[in-house]
Formats: sequence, structure tokens, C-alpha cells
Amino acid sequence: MSQTHLRPNRESPPGTPRWVKVFGIAVIILLLLFGILHLTGNHLGGHMPPVGAGGGQTTPTEQGMQPPWP
Amino acid sequence: MAMTPRLRKFALTAHISSSVGWLGAVAGFLALAVAGLTSQEDQMARAAYLAMELTASFVIVPLSLASLLTGLVQSLGTKWGLFRHYWVLAKLLITFLATLLLLLHMQPISTLAGAAAEMSLSGADLRPLRVQLVVNAGAALLALLAATTLSVYKPRGLTPYGWRKQQEQRAGVASHLGF
Repeated sequence: MSQTHLRPNRESPPGTPRWVKVFGIAVIILLLLFGILHLTGNHLGGHMPPVGAGGGQTTPTEQGMQPPWP
Repeated sequence: MAMTPRLRKFALTAHISSSVGWLGAVAGFLALAVAGLTSQEDQMARAAYLAMELTASFVIVPLSLASLLTGLVQSLGTKWGLFRHYWVLAKLLITFLATLLLLLHMQPISTLAGAAAEMSLSGADLRPLRVQLVVNAGAALLALLAATTLSVYKPRGLTPYGWRKQQEQRAGVASHLGF
């Protein structure tokens, strides 16, 4: 952890610590990645077709699945 | 607004419990997301997604809100303040963003659980959603680990506002002592 620019004097406030800058850059990158994923369609934003409405989904019977009950 | 020592310890206990509980619940959620994605047994995958919805609704969301609330109380009721130290601000940002994204992603979790309940989980359209849940849970776990690390190490760094407050306090003490 860098301690540069941390010693304030009476006249001016201390500079921003290096870890804060690294943290800020990491947050911005992650938010940008998240935004890009959403804009390109790889998102979770509730635009899924409703369950059972088709849209390429196959039914359990079509998949050869058996129901868990007798 | 300073708290009494007894109230401060109670608030701190509540904050640590909710925050660490949130971290553990997200770890469990990640394990279920991985099991749901990779399991070869359909029943196991469906059970995982049903459990994920319950875990998210009744454990993760309440704990995240409790962590945010108790964190605000803890910072505003002690000498740390909310805007004086960079590490407190960073924790607030992590907690707020994680809670916001969690609430935004509750609907897809319900979508998967609904699909699991209706036995239509193997539809190809749901695979990106299942992958995304694993990625999001992993990212949330890392973010909460970062917040925990900040709480323990408390890296130095006063904000300009915190520095001004500190100067005011020092000036107040100096004038009180007659310097």
C-alpha cells in the first residue's frame, strides 16, 4: 500500500492515495465491462422469453426427460 | 452523532454478522450456480436453481440490505464518518453497487427457477443466463472479499472533506487549550 502524498500540511489537503486511484480505475473498468455485456445482449436484464412460450426451448418430453413422479 | 459504547458494539456486531453472512451466502450461491451449470444430472441442476432462488430471496437480499443499513449506522455513529476516509467510501460504493445489481438480477434468477420448476431447464436459450449467473456470483464474491479486506486493513487516506474536519477539530482543541 503506497503511502505517498499522505502527509498533509496545514495549508493543503493530502493527495489521493495510490490505492484509491487503482480501486477507482478497477471499478470503472468493471462497470464498463458490465455495460458492454448488457449492450451486446449478454445480459440478465429480464428479456428472456417466458418459460413455456417456445423460443427454441424444448419440452421435457422432447428432451427424453422423465417426470420425477410415477 | 456519537453512539454509546454499548450501542456501538451492538451496531458493529450487526454489521459484521450481516456482511460476513452475505459473503458466505454468495459463496453458497456460487456453488449452486456452478452445480446448476455443470451437473450432468437434470434433477440436480433443477434443484440447484430452485435453491438459488430461495437463497437469493430469503438470505442474500435481506443480508445485503442489512449490511448496507448497519454500515451506514456504523459510519455515521462513530468517528469514522461516511465521507472522511477513502476506505469507508470505497466500502459504501461496493456495498451499494452489489446490492443494486443483486436487486436488478432477481428477475433472471426467478426466470431460471421457474424454468427448473416447469422442467424446461435444458432449453438452449437459458444457457447464457446460467453462465451469466456463475460470472455474476463470482464477481460478487470478489467484491465482498474486497470490502472485507478494506474493513480489516483500513488503508490510510483522508478525503478533502475528512481533512477539513480534522483541521477544524485540531483548531478547536488548540483554542480550547489556549494556544
